Amino acid sequence: MNEWFVAALALLAGLVPCGVVCLRGDPVNRLVGLEMAGTVDTLVLLLLAQAYDRAIYFDLALALALLSFAGGMVFARFLERWI
Amino acid sequence: MSPRGVLVAALLVVGVGVTLASCVGVLVMRDAFDRLHYTAPATTIAPLAIAAAVVLEESLSAAGIKALLVALVLLVTNPVLTHATARAARVRQFGEWTVQEGEQVKGEHP
Repeated sequence: MNEWFVAALALLAGLVPCGVVCLRGDPVNRLVGLEMAGTVDTLVLLLLAQAYDRAIYFDLALALALLSFAGGMVFARFLERWI
Repeated sequence: MSPRGVLVAALLVVGVGVTLASCVGVLVMRDAFDRLHYTAPATTIAPLAIAAAVVLEESLSAAGIKALLVALVLLVTNPVLTHATARAARVRQFGEWTVQEGEQVKGEHP
């Protein structure tokens, strides 16, 4: 249990407000909550990779950063045109 | 605790604190446009602080470079995502905007 684990656990609490936003309001508001949750998740994976001291785990954070961007763009396009 | 350890802990506190404050800001704002503002600190200050903490701990090894790369990706992609989301919100609110027949577009000369 080092300071990186403590920081990652503290950041996990930030997912609760994002989840509440995802459950209320119109679809665009929910999308903003989802994007915020993706950012928080990326930072949590970054901290956990350093906590476990494995360089290869940083690739997970990188993949999530790129994929949450792609997912958010797809959702934004669909909400703009069709849904 | 070494001076470097103190600096790493301070950077982590900054990163975590900014992100948690942004999450609360996303929760309490009224509409999507206000909420979108609060995604910015969590993708600029927080990743840079955390990546700086990793680089201080590990120097510029594979871990440090990858952490900086994650921060850079978040820094570049989030403004694009914010713009697309705000555009979707505006189109849903007011409808698609197009130039009407005979309408003068500012900055465009016939």
